Amino acid sequence: MWDNVIDFFSFQDINVLYVSLGTIILGASAAIVGAFTFFRKRALVGDAVAHSVLPGVCMAFLLSGTKNYLLLIIGAFVSGWISLLFVDKIVKKSKIKEDTAIGLILSVFFGLGILLLTYIQQSGNAAQTGLDSFLFGKAASMIGRDVLVFSIISLVLIIMVVAFFKELFLISFDENFAQAIGLPVKAIEFLLTSLTVLAVVTGIQAVGVVLMAALLITPAAAARFWSGRLIGILVLAAFIGSFSGLAGTFISYLAPNMPTGPWVVMVLSAIALVSIFFSPSKGIMARLLKQNRNKRKIEEENVLKAFFQLNEAKERLDIPLSAKDIQEKRFYTIGQIGSVMARLKRQGYLKKSGNTYYLTVEGKRKSMRLVKLHRLWELYLTKYLRIAPDHVHEDADTIEHLITPELEQKLEKLLGYPVVDPHNSEIPYETNYQQQ
Amino acid sequence: MIQQVENPIIEIHDLSVAYERKPVLWDVDLSLPEGQLIGIIGPNGAGKSTLLKSIMGLLPLNSGFIKIKDKPLKDVRDYISYVPQRESVDWDFPTSVYEVVMMGRYGKLGLLKRPRKSDKEIVMESLRKVGMESYKDRQISQLSGGQQQRVFLARALAQQADIYFMDEPFAGVDAATEKAIVELLREMSAQNKTVIVVHHDLQSVARYFDWIILLNMRLVASGPIESTFTPELLQETYGGKLTLLTEISELIQKNRFPNREKKNVG
Repeated sequence: MWDNVIDFFSFQDINVLYVSLGTIILGASAAIVGAFTFFRKRALVGDAVAHSVLPGVCMAFLLSGTKNYLLLIIGAFVSGWISLLFVDKIVKKSKIKEDTAIGLILSVFFGLGILLLTYIQQSGNAAQTGLDSFLFGKAASMIGRDVLVFSIISLVLIIMVVAFFKELFLISFDENFAQAIGLPVKAIEFLLTSLTVLAVVTGIQAVGVVLMAALLITPAAAARFWSGRLIGILVLAAFIGSFSGLAGTFISYLAPNMPTGPWVVMVLSAIALVSIFFSPSKGIMARLLKQNRNKRKIEEENVLKAFFQLNEAKERLDIPLSAKDIQEKRFYTIGQIGSVMARLKRQGYLKKSGNTYYLTVEGKRKSMRLVKLHRLWELYLTKYLRIAPDHVHEDADTIEHLITPELEQKLEKLLGYPVVDPHNSEIPYETNYQQQ
Repeated sequence: MIQQVENPIIEIHDLSVAYERKPVLWDVDLSLPEGQLIGIIGPNGAGKSTLLKSIMGLLPLNSGFIKIKDKPLKDVRDYISYVPQRESVDWDFPTSVYEVVMMGRYGKLGLLKRPRKSDKEIVMESLRKVGMESYKDRQISQLSGGQQQRVFLARALAQQADIYFMDEPFAGVDAATEKAIVELLREMSAQNKTVIVVHHDLQSVARYFDWIILLNMRLVASGPIESTFTPELLQETYGGKLTLLTEISELIQKNRFPNREKKNVG
């Protein structure tokens, strides 16, 4: 096992080096071209093309009788394009919608491809060996010359995307506007479709037609979680595509009987999953953390508020209270209140004395502000939204945690620094409490 | 009451348009004066956006022709500018305010060219005019509705055109943005630019526009605001759809009937 790993990375076999470089560049080009189908929300089109190139490959082999890659690529290109033309015609001329049309064409073309492939395999033509690896890919079976062909196509793809970046960007974002300023939208769409078909073609040997769509779509989908700029996403997608391609090749050398495509997809999916969970801005983890922070903030502020409310009647804010006292105002468990109060102590809002806690100067200020916000918002709701006073409490209980100092100022000004809330409770202002 | 003008900046002759074979505009025939603020007014489904898109060449015409500055559209693209409906694009698209406004320069740049220094200056100037200069590096997904509209407006300004077509620029924007846009439109019209705006808030029509087009599947009126913004004409525009016309439209669509018979040429 380790011998194989060392063999692979020492690149003693020059073919290993070629194939590795080849899959790196084809992974990058497929990811870059695929990113545009992703952003045009036409991801399924890539899948349809990928499946539809198979009959073209088989026809080219049947007609030429050899496994000449240039001919196979031309065959693949032609049948990939014909499939898209069919999808287009079906959508335009019948009542069938695009998703259905894609499903129909994909299965018809792929079925035809499998028929032809089976026929070729049973024909006893010695040149056909390895043609079946077009289904799921076998990177290790490529040789220097094939790699060169695919690499050149991949390079051309990348160069085309760079050259027409501006136009591809515009038709992906706002096709109407592109047309309005006189851009040849149809021609650019034709270009993008041709690039997509070619990107699929470059992957047929390394990844296989069945799973090629993953290499088009997944890198961009994963990269979207890490960057907010198209350029950033393209570069990152290219890296992800390259890495997955290389990983597939590596596994293909370690386990020669293993098809490459599924492994490439596994690596891609792992990267995508990590992105979905751990992206710092859009990831699920980030969202959970934020929710948790909000929950803790609400708990803490509610307990602080309870301190103010319980002390307010006695006109002194520094009376010590126990967890049990707080329960009068909040339906939290004793344990919950205990840990919240400990947190508030750490944050400097409470001080401990024996079993009870009392408000510090900061604690007084903050609890007062919260009660003020609550009552101001209740007043705003009754005054401006004409909501009945007995319906505003719950709403204000949430909003009070959210109001920023800027909004607070606006609210005070708008309501004219009111003295009491709709329930005739006094609205506490800092200035009034400074005497204490 | 359809008032035609001498030396029109835009001339529309016998225009009919269909969406998926269903006719939505019937035989519109009008001409528009230069340097005015023109509103296209009518109820929902009246074909206001369709009229705008037809003039811009975004929809196939069933009949008729359009001339701008007495020339066909393809000869005058450089002189016209377009603000599509805000909802027509995906504002989650990964790009910045600056990059969107730069799109306004693409038409002048041509294929394969990168933006020049002058283009960058024009983009910054346009952003400044709509008060979005400090937002230039902001992700467009972080903008409010009003800010999105300002960005679209800046993109149109960056086109540096003579004629501006705007599809509902006031829809869903805050009061400050609406005011800023109106001031900008006035300024443009003072510079003899022609601005054509799809609008549906009747309350502000009289304050905003010099000339209005009243539309409801057919042209009801086109003329100066004083003589055209009248209760009678509004009643005719808004007083319910012409039921018979709608039924015929649906019949045409259902039977896949041609909107016009083919002319025998020669």
